[in-house]
Amino acid sequence: MSMDNRKIPIEERLNSNAWDVSQRPHIRIIDPDKCRKCDAKPCTFLCPARCYIPSQDGTVLFSHEGCLECGTCRVVCPSNAIEWTYPRSGYGVQYRFG
Amino acid sequence: MGFIVSQRFDVIVVGGGPSGLTAAQRLASRGFKVLVVERGRRPGSKNVYGGRIYAHVLDRLYPEYVKEAPVERWVRKERLTMLTKDSGVTVEFEAKSVEHKSFTAYLTNFTEWLSRKAEAAGALIVTETPVDSLVIRDGRVVGVRSGADEVYGDVVIVAEGINRLVLESSGLTPKLQPSVVGLGVKEVIKLGRGEINERFNLDDDEGLAWALAGYPTHYVPGGAFIYTNKDAITLGIVVYLEHGAKLDVPVHELIEEFRLHPFISRLLKGGQLLEYSAHLTPIAGLGAMPDRLYGNGYLVVGDAAGFLLHLGVLIRGVDFAMESGNLAAEAVVKAHDEGRYDEEALSVYWRLLNESFILREFRAFRNAHKVLNNPRLYSDYVMLMNSFMARYFDVDGTPRRIWDTFMSSKGKLTLTDMARDALSLVMNL
Repeated sequence: MSMDNRKIPIEERLNSNAWDVSQRPHIRIIDPDKCRKCDAKPCTFLCPARCYIPSQDGTVLFSHEGCLECGTCRVVCPSNAIEWTYPRSGYGVQYRFG
Repeated sequence: MGFIVSQRFDVIVVGGGPSGLTAAQRLASRGFKVLVVERGRRPGSKNVYGGRIYAHVLDRLYPEYVKEAPVERWVRKERLTMLTKDSGVTVEFEAKSVEHKSFTAYLTNFTEWLSRKAEAAGALIVTETPVDSLVIRDGRVVGVRSGADEVYGDVVIVAEGINRLVLESSGLTPKLQPSVVGLGVKEVIKLGRGEINERFNLDDDEGLAWALAGYPTHYVPGGAFIYTNKDAITLGIVVYLEHGAKLDVPVHELIEEFRLHPFISRLLKGGQLLEYSAHLTPIAGLGAMPDRLYGNGYLVVGDAAGFLLHLGVLIRGVDFAMESGNLAAEAVVKAHDEGRYDEEALSVYWRLLNESFILREFRAFRNAHKVLNNPRLYSDYVMLMNSFMARYFDVDGTPRRIWDTFMSSKGKLTLTDMARDALSLVMNL
């Protein structure tokens, strides 16, 4: 499907990348209670891969599979509630056109 | 994954990007036993940048690059556009002679090329191994740790990139602040060589570097870029994270809205998305530097050292990275000659940086970020330029004198604001 006149959904954009995703997440929410108290939730807005989604109960759901490894979530989290490291053993996104 | 190697090294480099690999190549070629520890499957597979490399450092450090390096196109056209939702004001510079000053390239390929240079010089590169922290004994860095494994060296060059996970976990720098970084998000879109030449009015090896401001970030501080490669273009946005909360759409939507702007999408017709990437970039000049760039047994280079010069339109990272790697190598050689790698011996790195273009330029532009952090630049002035042009060219029988047109276009900007902003712009950039 042509991309000329439509937004490409984020999932489809992520699918254009080469991946070797680890079973083991490299992201962890240290304290969901901090997320519940966080009104702004900048991670849900600024993660370019939409890895963070606000949940019904006020916390944040995350997935590590589409992580582009930029580190934005860690930097913008106002309460240091996100533990974000690099994936082990070369796993994760495999850039070909960085 | 641990270290397969158990020997001791003269130098351990954390991170196989442009700065680390240049340091490794310089040192290995002078007989040092060098280990580069890289987290990716291969050097380059975790590297992302905007799209252009300034060649002056390559002329000096890798003169053979003209024949060997994976150059996409030599930049011959520089374009700057102040874009709104439905209009744009563009300045373009084009020179007839193609002076080889900068080129577009994929950083993935370029980094891999640098890794081959380092290996050819004798450096050992271990991949798939993220370093967790430095090994510090008696206040001295003596090696690096990955998982349960440690490897030791006389001196460690930290080239880990803008996310300073190693320096932070080793207690050598505080947490990275949103105020000193921008988030870059990029799409690589395949168009075909002929289409690029035709649509951007270029010859086969000629490239365009295009910076845009205003609408691409919904008038929030930051900007956008488009570079032409051989068969594909790279298109991206940069948002200053300090201002990220002002965005009215999520950042992953923002880049799509920019791509679908009618002035952009018509250039990309029939294109095919090859890759979607993101990376943080230092934007604050000296302000993005960690507290210390050297200490007992270690040096810091490249993005980890904050060595990226961000001047709005002009953005230079790779040349600064490579030069800092080169100077770190020189500092290690000098310290080795003295027979010690303590803080005092390694302080020669700071002296070398001061004498080089790196700190000369950083000092010359020490206030650049303060100026560029002014939200008016990305909103009010973009609107002003566009409404001025729209009025000026709207011939309907009423006389449009420049001054009157200007005054009726300036919106809520005051002349004092404008005078002050203009002065601070020309004095600091």
